[in-house]
Amino acid sequence: MTERLSFHEEIQKNKLKSIFLIVIIFIFFIGLGYIIAKVMDTSYFFLIMIIAIIFSLGYVLLSYYNSDKIALLSVNAKPASQTEHRALFHAVESMSLASGLPMPKVYIMNSEQINAFASGRDPQHAVICVTTGMLNKLNKQELEGVIAHEMSHIANYDIRFMTLTAVLVGMVSIIAQLFLRNIWIAKSDGDNKKGNAILLIIALVAAILAPLAVKLISLAISRKREFTADATGVKFVRSPTGLKSALQKIRDEHVSRQDLQRYPKAVAPLFIGDPYKKKFQDVFSTHPDVNERIRRLSQM
Amino acid sequence: MALSILLWIIIAFLAIIVIMFVFYYNRFVVLGNRIDNSLAQIDVQLKKRADLVPNLISSIKGYVKHEKGVITEVTNARKAMLSGKTLPERAKAGSELQTALKSIFALAENYPQLRANENFLQLQQELSAIEDKIAYTRQFYNDSILSYNNSVESFPGVMFAKIYGKTEKPSLEIAPEERAVPKVDF
Repeated sequence: MTERLSFHEEIQKNKLKSIFLIVIIFIFFIGLGYIIAKVMDTSYFFLIMIIAIIFSLGYVLLSYYNSDKIALLSVNAKPASQTEHRALFHAVESMSLASGLPMPKVYIMNSEQINAFASGRDPQHAVICVTTGMLNKLNKQELEGVIAHEMSHIANYDIRFMTLTAVLVGMVSIIAQLFLRNIWIAKSDGDNKKGNAILLIIALVAAILAPLAVKLISLAISRKREFTADATGVKFVRSPTGLKSALQKIRDEHVSRQDLQRYPKAVAPLFIGDPYKKKFQDVFSTHPDVNERIRRLSQM
Repeated sequence: MALSILLWIIIAFLAIIVIMFVFYYNRFVVLGNRIDNSLAQIDVQLKKRADLVPNLISSIKGYVKHEKGVITEVTNARKAMLSGKTLPERAKAGSELQTALKSIFALAENYPQLRANENFLQLQQELSAIEDKIAYTRQFYNDSILSYNNSVESFPGVMFAKIYGKTEKPSLEIAPEERAVPKVDF
């Protein structure tokens, strides 16, 4: 409990980062509107700018209030049933009591691999989503360990920043890619020279932006964040055994190629384990090394 | 000129003091409520356990005819729990109830038919989950007491605690619950 209060700083940082992210995305869309307005007929300049402002405002607000739903929708998650998934509900309720946080909504997604994520804008509007594979392959203790880890993300306000990044930046990278494709179309018609030049600039900017967006998402879920959640989770259960053995199972399981397609790139960093099971670490790794996490848990 | 600077310093100083008063008042309220809330949660779980007992008894009655003693023990413990005036009393009776329930589950090992009974197994799982939850809630209660007392005793909280008349809260003696060890045989 006393330790949780010292997480206060972490929570403030997460809240600030979320605001920062929202402002950046807002500016991005208005900037985009400005460029489009310049390329098109200048007589419509103000109209286009007003539309751009309304659009970006609406987009940001919608994302803020629905980021959890977008994340759940993107992995096709369904609400868990109180009667069918008793063990899961027991684990979530236990962890909500141990952490003193309100009971989050519980969802289930179809996937053979062991994985889970938490989302939402604050602890009062939090969701936890687990895979069917997790329900089948983990015992009670391991299940509690994983849920405790997710509960820590909720307690530290990681969920707001992580989900916002996934949804906002994920969308930007899609738009960037759209522009990249348009560069070829623009080349084929030579009528509008000025428009072409600007489109080319946008396309180049987009080309730089797309990988940067992916990088941003992976940065949002920095390694430190996962280690912190592991440690806080252990504090809730008062034992590292469950989470440790769950992570070992996550590390050792083999998943089919088909199963990987259930995880969109933008939301993949939200999960407790890397859904793509990448073996080696590099700067673009969204998850910390599992072995390192297991090692740290063993020392607790 | 110098006067106005002095004035500003005084204003800023006063503002800081007011903010600290508000901050500590709210802090004591939040931490105090957290304690009350965790106690209420323990009560909720104890109540849930008591509610499951009649179901459990009716599910085993047909199987264990010669073991009246255990059943009476459970029924009595439940009664004691429901009539408990204070939470520590209820918690104590609750943990006795849990012990009595354990002897029923141990008994069930001798009745293969009972062990195959879907309803019985489900109740057994529910009751063991409640045991876990009480243990977790107790843990949170202890943490809450600790953080409340820390904030009341440590500086500068101790000054505001004196002003607001907040004192260290004693930890209630709540009967401990052993967290259930996962069973492997079914």
